[in-house]
Amino acid sequence: MVKDYVILESDRAVVNGRVLEHETAGSAMLAELYRAHIADWPKFFKMDTLSKVGFVASELLLKELGETRHEGEEFVQSRAVVLFGTTASLCADRNYQETISDRDNYYPSPALFVYTLPNIVTGEIAIRNHYRGETSFYVVEKADAAQMAFHLSCAFADTVTESVLAGWVDSRHNDDFQAFFTLVRRDELEGLEDRLKTIMDNLNI
Amino acid sequence: MEEMILKLKQEIIEVLNLEDVQPSDIDNDAPLFGEGLGLDSIDALELIVLMEKNYGIKLQDPAKGKEIFKSVNVMADYIQKNRTK
Amino acid sequence: MERLVQCIADNVVSPLGLDSASNYQSVKAGKSGLQHYEGIAMSKIDRMAVDVACKRLDIPSDRYTFFEKILLVSSVQAVRNSGIDASSERVLFIVSTTKGNVSLLGSPAGFPGERVLLGVAARQVSDFFGNPNSPLVVCNACISGVCAQIEAMRALKSGRYDYAVVMGADEQSQFIESGFKSFKAVSDDFCRPFDRDRKGLNLGECAATVVLKASDSVPDDCWELVTGAIRNDANHISGPSRTGEGSYLALMETLRCCRPEDLAFVNVHGTATAYNDEMESIALYRAGLTDVPVTGLKGYYGHTMGAAGIMESILSMYAVRDHTVLATRGFAVQGTTYPVSVSPELRVTDGRQFIKLLSGFGGCNAALLYRLNGTW
Repeated sequence: MVKDYVILESDRAVVNGRVLEHETAGSAMLAELYRAHIADWPKFFKMDTLSKVGFVASELLLKELGETRHEGEEFVQSRAVVLFGTTASLCADRNYQETISDRDNYYPSPALFVYTLPNIVTGEIAIRNHYRGETSFYVVEKADAAQMAFHLSCAFADTVTESVLAGWVDSRHNDDFQAFFTLVRRDELEGLEDRLKTIMDNLNI
Repeated sequence: MEEMILKLKQEIIEVLNLEDVQPSDIDNDAPLFGEGLGLDSIDALELIVLMEKNYGIKLQDPAKGKEIFKSVNVMADYIQKNRTK
Repeated sequence: MERLVQCIADNVVSPLGLDSASNYQSVKAGKSGLQHYEGIAMSKIDRMAVDVACKRLDIPSDRYTFFEKILLVSSVQAVRNSGIDASSERVLFIVSTTKGNVSLLGSPAGFPGERVLLGVAARQVSDFFGNPNSPLVVCNACISGVCAQIEAMRALKSGRYDYAVVMGADEQSQFIESGFKSFKAVSDDFCRPFDRDRKGLNLGECAATVVLKASDSVPDDCWELVTGAIRNDANHISGPSRTGEGSYLALMETLRCCRPEDLAFVNVHGTATAYNDEMESIALYRAGLTDVPVTGLKGYYGHTMGAAGIMESILSMYAVRDHTVLATRGFAVQGTTYPVSVSPELRVTDGRQFIKLLSGFGGCNAALLYRLNGTW
């Protein structure tokens, strides 16, 4: 059985097979989940959709795992965050582009621009949890469990890394997103590809 | 001035996405940065954009923002004196 | 037996030349690609020169965007120099970029909308070589070029691949320029890394490629990619850590494989923003590298984003072979809290290894170590 995973889609949130209740969908659902399950990180409301999705998914997973936050310097250095996706920052790119497209209404927004770097979501998660390990965002053509499992295994070539908060996160529009998160531990690399495949079978990617 | 301060607070709440903050929650004399609203360096840059977009004030040196964004009162006063729209 | 990773070919495409050697010679001679354009100082690649190069290399230029073209011009030359068969499934393609084809959002120029997706853009390049693998795009802001080499190294050591073609590039556009300007991070004048009067960065265009090979041993006088590490500050999404935390940790991890006194130099990020250079000086000090020569290349190229980690590694390899620590153009007076050994002049070195250090938005930092095997 596959455990330790979260699925987050435009109208669905699943934690270890358990469907979370919600009344809204899209970006409103993200805010609803934030208020219901997190609620102590107002920076959430400043994030772009990609970061909101990654942040909520990571929080739901860590809550399920019952980990204590900021558990010592050695631990925070041994935790990596490695995410994959196809759209990367496309959604934020479009939002920022709007602030510079009209010559008569040209006000480039630094708060929107910063999110046009897709790895910001890995930084948001690192900041929240004080993770000082590796953070990486990889963009791929399509969701491929074999490719993801291979590069996640590679992360353990860094001998300091003991676990990877890993996932897939995509967002084409502010109300259209797909994500899954899981925790990969150094001693559980065997069968990783199959585990990822099982999770991804439950996801529209 | 009272009206201008209320409008400015509403604008700050909107551009900085200060969810669950009401204009009445922001003390006119309290520092905008540091404790309180929990604003950071990106928020400061975004306030510079706000001043240009809504009041036609161009601030080239971000270090100057430190003085102007001391409090809503100071900011409103600066805008009143320097606005071009 | 552990597999080692060797760099067997390289290429740099920039305003200073279309191959690594000419780039190195220009930089050594003190030439810069930076120029004053309307309202900004920048280093831009000549569009016509790229089309001419495409023609010479049999790249059908009308099929590709500018970003894809510079990636191709660089990687085609590097792959030909390496002599490898890039169409083999034993070859992994990795692309390092921050914004790829983002300029298509503003002006699509007849290209299909999906080309803004980085995976699709990277596939244009790997398809040109007929490579069957799905390319990996590393998108870690300004540290992408070092991360791409680290990931290639790991993939080769794992035994899954025999070669990796690692390329990086970014096209400058209104999108990027306006964004960095909104951060008040751009200098009107030529940038001054680590200098007291530094006023911000310049943006630049470049494409660079290394071809890496997995082997049981690296011959004398060949380059080995020894190790590398990526670490996060966990501090702020745009502001560097005040303690240089991530850069310090990445440096310390890299120093597990070499002693500071064996380093020819550390090639730093050195963007010439107030915060970056200050942060790097703190990290270098904490890592015990105060006496190691430090050199930065942004005064010649500006900040070339996705290309930076690769191009700056390549020029560092040429410099070590030439017993040279390149001059830090734009630097005159020490301007960081912790003094580092930076100089506006060329220096001589007998070191055979160097560290390449980068940091970027998202709080990310990366360092890697290259070693020229054997002795002088």
